[in-house]
Amino acid sequence: MILGLLVLHVAVCVLLAAASRRLGRNGLLVGAVPPAVTAVWAATRLGDHQPESADVAWVPGLDLAMTFRVDAFVDIMTLIVSGIGFGVFVYAYGYFAPAAAGIGRFAATLLAFSTAMLGLVWADSVWSLFVFWELTSVTSFLLIGHKNTDKPAQVAARQALMITAGGGLVLLAGLLLVTRSAGTTLISEMTPVDGATATFGAVLVMVGAATKSAQVPFHPWLPSAMVAPTPVSAYLHSATMVKAGVVLVAVMGPALGGLPAWKACGLAFGVATVFWGAIGALRHRDAKLVLAWGTVSQLGMLITLFSVGTAKAALAAVTLLVAHALFKGALFLVVGEIDVRAGTRNIDELGGLARSMPIACTVAVLAGLSMAGAPPLLGFVAKEAAIKAALALEGPEAWIVGFGVIAGSVLTVAYTARFLVTVFGPGPETALAPRRHALSLPAAVLGLAGLVGYAVLGPLNGVLGPAAARLAGAAEVSDLHRWPGLTLDLGISAIVLALGASLGLVLSRRLGRVPVEYGARWTDASIEATMTFGRATSARLQHGSLPVYLVTMAGTAALAALPFLGYVSFDHVVAWDTPLQAVLAVAIIGAAVALSFVGTRLAAGLALGAAGIAVAAVFVVHGAADLALTQLLVEAAIVVGFVLAFGHLSRSFPRVGLRWRAVRMTVAGLGGAAVVVGLAAASRSPVAEPPLTEMAAASVDEGGGSNIVNVILTDIRALDTLGEVLVLATVALGVLALARASDRPEGSAS
Amino acid sequence: MNGALLLAVGGLTAVGLYLVTGRSLSRIVLGYSLLGHATVVALIAAGGPAGRPPIAGQAEPEAMANPLPQALTLTAIVISFGLTLFLLALARRQRTITGDDLVEDDLEDRRIAAPDSLPGEQENQAAT
Repeated sequence: MILGLLVLHVAVCVLLAAASRRLGRNGLLVGAVPPAVTAVWAATRLGDHQPESADVAWVPGLDLAMTFRVDAFVDIMTLIVSGIGFGVFVYAYGYFAPAAAGIGRFAATLLAFSTAMLGLVWADSVWSLFVFWELTSVTSFLLIGHKNTDKPAQVAARQALMITAGGGLVLLAGLLLVTRSAGTTLISEMTPVDGATATFGAVLVMVGAATKSAQVPFHPWLPSAMVAPTPVSAYLHSATMVKAGVVLVAVMGPALGGLPAWKACGLAFGVATVFWGAIGALRHRDAKLVLAWGTVSQLGMLITLFSVGTAKAALAAVTLLVAHALFKGALFLVVGEIDVRAGTRNIDELGGLARSMPIACTVAVLAGLSMAGAPPLLGFVAKEAAIKAALALEGPEAWIVGFGVIAGSVLTVAYTARFLVTVFGPGPETALAPRRHALSLPAAVLGLAGLVGYAVLGPLNGVLGPAAARLAGAAEVSDLHRWPGLTLDLGISAIVLALGASLGLVLSRRLGRVPVEYGARWTDASIEATMTFGRATSARLQHGSLPVYLVTMAGTAALAALPFLGYVSFDHVVAWDTPLQAVLAVAIIGAAVALSFVGTRLAAGLALGAAGIAVAAVFVVHGAADLALTQLLVEAAIVVGFVLAFGHLSRSFPRVGLRWRAVRMTVAGLGGAAVVVGLAAASRSPVAEPPLTEMAAASVDEGGGSNIVNVILTDIRALDTLGEVLVLATVALGVLALARASDRPEGSAS
Repeated sequence: MNGALLLAVGGLTAVGLYLVTGRSLSRIVLGYSLLGHATVVALIAAGGPAGRPPIAGQAEPEAMANPLPQALTLTAIVISFGLTLFLLALARRQRTITGDDLVEDDLEDRRIAAPDSLPGEQENQAAT
């Protein structure tokens, strides 16, 4: 079933990409089908907690396989990814004008993201996880930059890609170390690890998760990503993709949770992010940015709770994960509707929407109350569970987590109140475009889901409990409560709500300036610096001058021969077999040197011929008659060719600068020395005597010829010789074509 | 290994490298040829001592030179011949078009690397 669903996604994705023009906006409805099917499948699995797995061998020899596994927790994530995905496809159908540009491409990319995200949550092998992790980064890049002629969209897309894909590389390094310590690449089979390697790996994994889940200081990409169309913000940048880091921390918890560094890192990222995100949400004036910063804050809360690792914290985190996907999805969709109908998202310009958009207002209030953690909504249950989990801890951890959860909740209530009051509260009436049902419906469903979740908390316990138990490695976890009774938790909750609401109301009256994005500015500056450095490096290396390229390469290759110096031995080197060889060697070198000194092309061609004839003589002395014959023929042809090609360029070679000539000479000398060193080092280990007698006999008996060299060429390596003939034929064709080409190139002025 | 041939290989390589790093296509062809010579002499030198031609019946097997490196060398000669000819054809073609045989700088390369500035100018001036 798992593989079937993935194939369905990919197939529809290909269909959408191929028929994007013809389908247009209807592509979004076609794209909604695979998420709908998957969501239904996940929903039917919710009650039954039998894990199901599937794998596809990838590189069997390297033990690489695409392994997928769904269990109690993954079922919930699947329902979030596909359920909200379905809603977002429908919503996007209403969001875009029927003739909007690139809408088919948008549908295909959105479905591609949905596929990658499913692969990510289903992945059991860390390698499949990594592949889908990076795929979500890439599709997110494409979706953020959907308006690809828009400069801010380009910058934001690049920033998101640099941070999330770069974080993915950190994650890869971390996974390599962790799998080495754990001895398995399957997440479900990992047992708790310890040791320095594992600790280092765990920290890297946590950093990777922090980049994806927009933890401070990697958060700037998420608010910047809000330039994307609202369906993308609702789906990728609140409900699903940004949860990838959280999911990773959650599923690696059983294996890495025991490492002190893992918990310390997670709490540091999480608590800092809770506050910085909430403060950002209180400062911004763009309704979408308020929500985005709120997401940053909530992601910090999730990372905090999952890093704690206790069963209670895991239960609170899973509940918050579900509640957040529902309420934040709903709020984004409402803001998108406001954006489409009112033409602005600035909270200073919005007013009176409670009267003019009653449905959107109701949905936003429901979702907002859930976000603030007020009863009777799922968010309330999640916050109660979080407070309870924090109170159950001991030592400094209790203070850190308790402070993060409680003070973070106060700020959450505050920005929620500010958001609701400024957007829907009194103010100048905003003119609106007519309602579109495709926009309202998905938002209403998500908004109501928080209420329904609270109502059916009994059955919901049976879904969330096992998921938390699986993540905390516990046998079972305590139930969530609809109403905690008059306990300390409830008292804290009440105080949080009262404090937060007053703070939010006070801040909502203040008209502030749009805050400066220090984080985003620094990130942009560092990305810009990286690009500048890259450009400077390639300008240095890729200067376009062939001679300099060659000198660089030859020099590098010559230096690579340095290690062979230690192997040079003269035990097997004789001065010469016959003195004639020494004479010929001198002749060859002499001809070559003369060749490089003569000033005219004709003389150079003749010197080349001389060198070639000397080489042929070496073959004769060596007993290689065939070679000598071939060499002479070849040499004659080349000299003739050389004269034909260059002969009438009678003027001398161009003059060369002295310094550059010295560099070339040095490198050339080094290159020659390197070859000598390499050969001398190779001669230290001579091979056994060649089986000359056997070869001679076989040549006559099997090859039917007495010239052994010929038999080798035509019999033993006949196929290679055939290839050689083909090479020569190709060369002949090429030479012919070049010679016959007209003298003037088409359209050239030269 | 034969010391004299070894030195010949080194000399051919050095001169060949010097020539191929030049800017005139005709010298690059010359250098390429010399590098080809260096390779075939190296193959022969590495294949064993000199001897009688390896033709069955004309010499005692023990006195023969090793035939296997000779077969390989023959291939090397032929292939480098093919490539040199092709280079020559290209050079001739360039001469018909530009009237010269100089290797120009690849301006596309520079444009990719540095849209506005053109560093590496010094080396190039020195090289031309």
